[in-house]
Amino acid sequence: MRFFRRVDEHAWSRSRLSPYIDGDLSRRERLRVQLHAEHCPECSRGIRALRALLRLTESMRALEPEHAPASIFDRVRADANSTARDGARSPEG
Amino acid sequence: MRPSLAVGGTAAMHEGTLVSRAQAGDVTAFEQLASAHTDRVYAVVLRLVGDRGEAEDVVQEALLRAWRAIGQFQRRATFATWLHRIAVNEANRALGRRAQAGSSVPIDDEGLRLSAPPHQGPARTAERGELRRSLELAIAELALPYRTALVLRDIEGLSTREAAAIAGVGEAAFKSRLHEARTKVRAAIGDAALLAAPG
Repeated sequence: MRFFRRVDEHAWSRSRLSPYIDGDLSRRERLRVQLHAEHCPECSRGIRALRALLRLTESMRALEPEHAPASIFDRVRADANSTARDGARSPEG
Repeated sequence: MRPSLAVGGTAAMHEGTLVSRAQAGDVTAFEQLASAHTDRVYAVVLRLVGDRGEAEDVVQEALLRAWRAIGQFQRRATFATWLHRIAVNEANRALGRRAQAGSSVPIDDEGLRLSAPPHQGPARTAERGELRRSLELAIAELALPYRTALVLRDIEGLSTREAAAIAGVGEAAFKSRLHEARTKVRAAIGDAALLAAPG
């Protein structure tokens, strides 16, 4: 019985590690994850691994910024020009 | 601090004027309005489609759609959120066409490999570079809704609210996708590699 309770607690905590590091859990839920992780090497490692993953994704932002190519508005300009031409040609003016 | 898409004060007033002029058919005003966001939109789309040529095609098409639909823009969201949402939808369509043709997200030297900041030493840079490469591959393997969530929130650093609006879902659904995406990426990279990463 105790074994099943421990398994349930582990599954419950493991599925909440990402909301836990985002601070998206209620105070009670946060405490429950914390207490479990203190005695669970897998969840404790999971929290550290997710934090490392967030540091890694954040580090992607520090890379050289991307610049859209100069031609990015070509289709918009062509569309605006053709609309203007059609307008000029129409008998209504 | 997360970089927001929102503009405030004078910039917001200026944006309002440009929207009105663009809605009256002024293409120069539209370009001015959109050009403040095209680098960021391009970066997001590049992360989603993984190929520079295709990213340019997607963003050009998204800008064309935005230009043609600017009359219907009702300012319930910011222009930046609206434009990002059109671009993400367009990326979705492009990836759908690619899936029908039976090809996957390309990640190659001409794709997403970006320059490291110059202040890191060679060994550290190589280690980081390898890990980033693993991250890019893991992201490319995600289904688009999960990839979109991770790119907008964790890489681009948008707030959950902004990112959910761009993805076109509620915040609860967005968070669920984000947590699932992180779980999958963590499994693909492996805890050992993540925990050995230089801080």
